[in-house]
Amino acid sequence: MYYIMFIMGRKKYKQLRVVVSFFVGAIVAVAVFNNSYLLSIAGVLTGMIFMILVRAKAKIRTDEREATIQEKAARMTYAIFAPTLGIAAFLLLLPSKGGLTVFSKGEWLYTESLGMVLAYLALFLIAIYAISYHFFNKKYGGGGNEE
Amino acid sequence: MEVEAMKNKLKVFRAMHDLTQEELADKIGVSRQTVIAIESDKYLPSLGLAFKIARLFKVKVEDIFTYEGGGNEN
Repeated sequence: MYYIMFIMGRKKYKQLRVVVSFFVGAIVAVAVFNNSYLLSIAGVLTGMIFMILVRAKAKIRTDEREATIQEKAARMTYAIFAPTLGIAAFLLLLPSKGGLTVFSKGEWLYTESLGMVLAYLALFLIAIYAISYHFFNKKYGGGGNEE
Repeated sequence: MEVEAMKNKLKVFRAMHDLTQEELADKIGVSRQTVIAIESDKYLPSLGLAFKIARLFKVKVEDIFTYEGGGNEN
């Protein structure tokens, strides 16, 4: 078993990942049919743990090009998602504060609640970005006063 | 720095050493797609990877990678 893991390359790892994904998908499908939350959680967790162990044993490193793609995709996702959340929250909160009569009496309460949730999500997203930015800035030598 | 300003002779060196893209990728620890992207000047490798490639072919980095951009661009 260890030998198989040791000689396993990136290609084999990707093939194994597909097989495990199908396996987890099948377990979740069975769990849905049987209305068993426990089975689905167990299936997903087993798949995750198995892949983490295989990845660690096979010493699969993230390709630098893949890392660059992930960075750019994450940056674009943030650039799109954060303003979308903020604008959506603003638009949903606007009727309740502006006294608009678009909604019947009491109906705006739901939009206000949703708006508040979205506003907090937007703040949470920005906070995570700021914290991770600060962390990586320090890690890569930024923000120091050394000469 | 723009990717277009950098040119490389990776394909030439790979052919000289009779290596396939897959073999080169395994030797330098990247995926075959990365080797393809570098060869077609679509991806600029990191400094570490550039040195790794140069060391593999026993040449200097500038023998493989050349900057064809303008002067001092900051």
